[in-house]
Amino acid sequence: MAKTVLKTNQKTEMEDRSSLKGTLASVFFLGIFIIVTWVSVYYLFVDRF
Amino acid sequence: MHMHKLEKIWLIFGISCLVIFLTVVGVSAFYLGNKPPSCLTTVNPETVGQEKPFNEPGLHKVDGKAWDYELVYVASAFSYTPAQVEVPLGAKVKVIATTKDVIHGFEVAGTNINMMLEPGYISEYTTTFDKAGEFLIVCNEYCGAGHHLMFSKIEVVK
Repeated sequence: MAKTVLKTNQKTEMEDRSSLKGTLASVFFLGIFIIVTWVSVYYLFVDRF
Repeated sequence: MHMHKLEKIWLIFGISCLVIFLTVVGVSAFYLGNKPPSCLTTVNPETVGQEKPFNEPGLHKVDGKAWDYELVYVASAFSYTPAQVEVPLGAKVKVIATTKDVIHGFEVAGTNINMMLEPGYISEYTTTFDKAGEFLIVCNEYCGAGHHLMFSKIEVVK
């Protein structure tokens, strides 16, 4: 009778979950948007009397 | 505590942005002395017309103050007194305004002069009129049926 054996030598492909590159990109995308809008409104305030 | 390298980068970025923005606001308030236009100076709205300086609305030259002129406005439904005023170019002016009846707005379109006028309170804004031209004052707080007809003009002349 065939014995059920757990295959242990098979590799499971796992995505590297610790990569935060996408998060970093989106944080900077939002951050730069906030800075650009803030600076343009500040310039408008300084330029007007 | 273990922290991912990229996490450190965006935390430093975020915190330094916060520090810079708050420093700008702090310098503006505590060093340059900027404050909200209505700073708890009160007036009786029923006797506004008899009290100084609102008994004589308009532009007045003043001496010995940090500003050259005082520009006094009284707002009421649905007009400003005076309806038109001429300001010399480059004059440092303190705009002083209040309302006789309900809440009105006082926005000089295209400038930083933008105040809410509340009955019983005096709103002030000091600025230098350094651009020539005609400026429209509009009410930007809904004050009643004639709200859209409420306006006045400032002419900055050489």
